[in-house]
Amino acid sequence: MRLSDLFKIAYTNLRRRRTRTLLTVLGVVIGTASIVVMLSLGLGMSDLLLKSYQNSGSLNMINVLNYGSSSQGDHALQLTDESIKSFESIPHVVGTSPALQVSVEAKSGAYSSSYEIIGVSQRFLQEIKLKSGSLPKPNQSTLSIVYGNTVVNTFYKNNDWEHPAKIDPDKDTIFYRFPEDTVSQQKSNGSDTSAAVNPLTNKKYLIDTAGVMKGGPDEYSDTSMYCFADIDTFKNFLRKIYKKNLVPNPALNKNGKPFRYYVYDTAYVFVDDMNNVTTVQKAISDQGYTAYSNMEWLEQAKQSMNIIQMVLGGIGAVSLLVAAIGIMNTMMMSIYERTKEIGVMKVLGCDMKDIRNMFLTESAIIGFFGGSFGVLISYLISFVINRLTAGSSSDLTMGLNGNISSIPPWLSGIAIVFAIFVGTLSGYFPSVRAMKLSPLQAIRNE
Amino acid sequence: MNNPTIMIKVRDLYKIYSIGENKVYALNGISFDVYKGEFIAIVGTSGSGKSTCLNMLAGLEKPSKGIIQIGQKRIDRMNERELVAFRRQNVGFIFQSYNLLGTMNAIENVAMPLMFRGLPEEERFRLARIYMKQIGILDQEKHMPNQMSGGQQQRVGIARALVIDPKIIFADEPTGNLDSHTTDDVLHLMQSIVREKNKTLIMVTHDPHIASFADRQIRVVDGKIVETIINPESPIEQQILKETGAEPFAEVHTADSDQVSGKL
Repeated sequence: MRLSDLFKIAYTNLRRRRTRTLLTVLGVVIGTASIVVMLSLGLGMSDLLLKSYQNSGSLNMINVLNYGSSSQGDHALQLTDESIKSFESIPHVVGTSPALQVSVEAKSGAYSSSYEIIGVSQRFLQEIKLKSGSLPKPNQSTLSIVYGNTVVNTFYKNNDWEHPAKIDPDKDTIFYRFPEDTVSQQKSNGSDTSAAVNPLTNKKYLIDTAGVMKGGPDEYSDTSMYCFADIDTFKNFLRKIYKKNLVPNPALNKNGKPFRYYVYDTAYVFVDDMNNVTTVQKAISDQGYTAYSNMEWLEQAKQSMNIIQMVLGGIGAVSLLVAAIGIMNTMMMSIYERTKEIGVMKVLGCDMKDIRNMFLTESAIIGFFGGSFGVLISYLISFVINRLTAGSSSDLTMGLNGNISSIPPWLSGIAIVFAIFVGTLSGYFPSVRAMKLSPLQAIRNE
Repeated sequence: MNNPTIMIKVRDLYKIYSIGENKVYALNGISFDVYKGEFIAIVGTSGSGKSTCLNMLAGLEKPSKGIIQIGQKRIDRMNERELVAFRRQNVGFIFQSYNLLGTMNAIENVAMPLMFRGLPEEERFRLARIYMKQIGILDQEKHMPNQMSGGQQQRVGIARALVIDPKIIFADEPTGNLDSHTTDDVLHLMQSIVREKNKTLIMVTHDPHIASFADRQIRVVDGKIVETIINPESPIEQQILKETGAEPFAEVHTADSDQVSGKL
């Protein structure tokens, strides 16, 4: 039999029992809609979660730490320019950056603050989203820095912690004082200074403002409380202050002399895709470094999200199961009613397979219509949910803005295919039954 | 006309039903031949086994033992799938209660067996119209079965049986639901189709009058053939006698002696 004939016959028979067909389809509509809406809630929530992590820091960045390496001698692991560069040979790594951190004291008028300026590579700087200004250019002769958006909120007068000043780095003059280097300090003091905080140099510096990061003064993120500079420019700048020692607190070799190259505590590794972060992170920790990323948190959050999603989907699945039983029931009834008709067809030479397919087609059509309308209704429900939850930051949205229910196209596609599949599956048993009906039923005269 | 050829060969056909401990012989050893172009009536009272015989010839029931050969094919050895395919290619069926599909109009009903062969719709309707015209129901093409009289419905049924150009047509009490006037019309129609198209028709009936339209009658009582009556005016029977020198084979058990007196 031709496919078009199968569909025609199935359609005619479904129309013949219009009310029953509609009721069965309604069951599938409800089943599909409940699954899709439930899953959409789960998906929407994990989308929101992902967004909140993305807001707080880059998801495809790995932080590499190597605290304490300075005391272990030459052969120990060191985060140097070379070793950081070598991370780039790990698959999926698209860039690296050392972090040259120096604590500074900043003063603007009567207000003062202390924070860190971090020298990073251009690759890192490109990740920064600016509210104003521009990113520092590589290897300049004058130092310019990007202010984190919450840095401006950390200036206080004397010890009046209650009233921070609003400093605008573009307008206000900020003087910087850098710490004295530990090596020359030790020499001058002769002995124990480890307990004391590095005293500051007396010299004051003015540093150009390149730009300010995006975000309000209260929006905290991983980078919001630091200032960033191009690493090479920063190195040049520091060399003028610290000469051979390079940095204020250089790592020392076995002989107690500072290294003549840069040794970092922290480095950043950028990965092409957040899904590869975990593998790259493992490769780095296998080398002996401490590595962490936001992905770890996200993974955990995702796992609990998955459980929520499964529970929600399971609730929806129950109603689809009921709908499937409904289809089965309808098809069974229909076969009992059409026993004679099926028999006649068999006597007239209709293949057993065609009879089975006829009924499978019917139940698949029920599944298709149920699935399609179910998806349509899901979009409607999802729209209403988002409308109702928009603006009001209830517990459900976890204080985040955005759509709590989202139906990606693949979900609606899968939902329809799944509904067809469920329809066909629940039609299978009845259809096999029809196939096996005796043709004698037809010619027996009652 | 060609030389008479044997279309159906039935030998020692038994059908035994087990009802509890008892065995019921619905067919108790039947043997006969049917030539191509013959119109056979299997006559018997209700419960004689005539319908069982027809069902087995059409492959709707499996014989308990015995041989049924149609053309060169042993249909007693076929499985259900093969039987369906065999019917689709070779067999037309006319039912007592017409058994038209209520959801389809006349032409769709006639064309239905061709759908099972996978023919496209235009081709199916073209062929259906040819036979509907011959039978004189082309004007009812668009009518639904419940808009037609019994006679009209049975004509649609006959057109449906003919549309596949079958080698054999089976008819189970084809006029059982019709009034006597329409019965004669339908039987004349069937008779002329068999003669003009050289089709083989096997009809089951309990009515001797209806059976008299056939070229040859086979009377069945208690699962055995007790009598064969050949219509002497039938051209096909005259030809068979002339060509083969004998009447068609049928093993007859006479009622009193139960003795075999087959004619060859």
